[in-house]
Amino acid sequence: MILDKLAREIEAIIFAADTPVDMETLTRITGALEDSVQQALDRISGSLEEGGHAMMLRRVGSGWRIVTDPALGDVVSLLFEDRRPGKLSRASLETLAVVAYSQPCTRAEVEEIRGVGCDSALRTLLERNMIRIAGRREQPGRPLLYATTQEFLLYFGLDDLDHLPRLDEITELLQTPPEELQRPDHPEGEKASPKEEDAVQDG
Amino acid sequence: MSADTCRVTLELFEGPLDLLLYLIRRDELDIWDVPVAHVARQYLQYIRAARELNLDVASEYLVMAATLTSIKSRSLLPRRGEGDEEEDPRALLLRQLVLYRAFREVSGELREIENVWRDSFPGPGERGRWSRDAAPMDPGQASILDLVGALEELQADRLPPPPARFERPRMSLAECIVDIETSLRDGSPMGFRRLVGANAGPERIIYYFLALLELAVRGRVVIRQTSPLGELTVAPHMARAPKGAAPE
Repeated sequence: MILDKLAREIEAIIFAADTPVDMETLTRITGALEDSVQQALDRISGSLEEGGHAMMLRRVGSGWRIVTDPALGDVVSLLFEDRRPGKLSRASLETLAVVAYSQPCTRAEVEEIRGVGCDSALRTLLERNMIRIAGRREQPGRPLLYATTQEFLLYFGLDDLDHLPRLDEITELLQTPPEELQRPDHPEGEKASPKEEDAVQDG
Repeated sequence: MSADTCRVTLELFEGPLDLLLYLIRRDELDIWDVPVAHVARQYLQYIRAARELNLDVASEYLVMAATLTSIKSRSLLPRRGEGDEEEDPRALLLRQLVLYRAFREVSGELREIENVWRDSFPGPGERGRWSRDAAPMDPGQASILDLVGALEELQADRLPPPPARFERPRMSLAECIVDIETSLRDGSPMGFRRLVGANAGPERIIYYFLALLELAVRGRVVIRQTSPLGELTVAPHMARAPKGAAPE
């Protein structure tokens, strides 16, 4: 597919930009309407895919960026050897998950859910710019509030926070008070225990 | 279960909830109807084994052990009517377990996403994040970008300190001393409350008390208190004897 002028302009802007480019910037720079820009973005995406290119157009947060196909990661990563942070530890990942689904939240709230101290995990996540300090909660002690960053979305290739896995389910769980918590109607991944007589024998 | 198994596994757990979920899964129990007595027994076995090995068992594990024991003993007691109790610790624990399990599963999913998208690289415009200057650091180190970021944060002053007002003291110790001595000029003892005056605020009371202590040290007044926490009676030191000779 041969790209038209608008699509080529947009592709160049996104390629050269130092952050994901949002719709407002694209319409302002190109002078085109939002609809035309959206269609041009689809054309860029389609042409990259059709041509079997190593690049792809991705939406992140409110912006677009051009990234390499993750399938080529093993080759490209050699270029950035020892300049790339390692994977997140399990503690960091769990802590990050809690922050992502219940943000903004305090350290105490994260620790309540994980059942362990999260001080160092939060510090690592701050250092890696996955979370940021989003203010203070107006309660005794004015504890810091944590929220996720754009870097978090970039790192996990998420369009936005609405694309977090199982968002509705977890949001509902977080809002249910303990006394109303009930076994979900639909069967979960795991089957219910066949050994329910345990409950009677013990105690 | 041998003590060694315990040691190996306890280090693999991300805390007491993780250990509990492991036990529930291992024994194929229903998370929505956990037999607390059984789980508590298994849990305590782990903790005990770990302690026998002189391992540091983090306090969170001990708190959970106490919670489990308390739920177990509670279930043996007859219920005292409905609704008059505080929150049911069993329901709280269930919520913790279910929530933590959900987050554990979700972090597994995030891990899979991470594995995919970590291998996707941004265009050269965003290369700043991959340049040598901005190379990601080991924990505790900082790059130039980190410094710039920190500076920007400082300038933005996003978290102003809480508003506070400090007032300069409106009285001085010297004034209080003069005032007390004036009040005691006629030689008769006086109660502390009268000395300070009616409706005195905490600041005034503290200042007068400090002044009184100062006068006592200087041997100018005698303070008596007939009962603990009772009213202080202040009298001028009549002897006016040279320092050191006063019998008081």
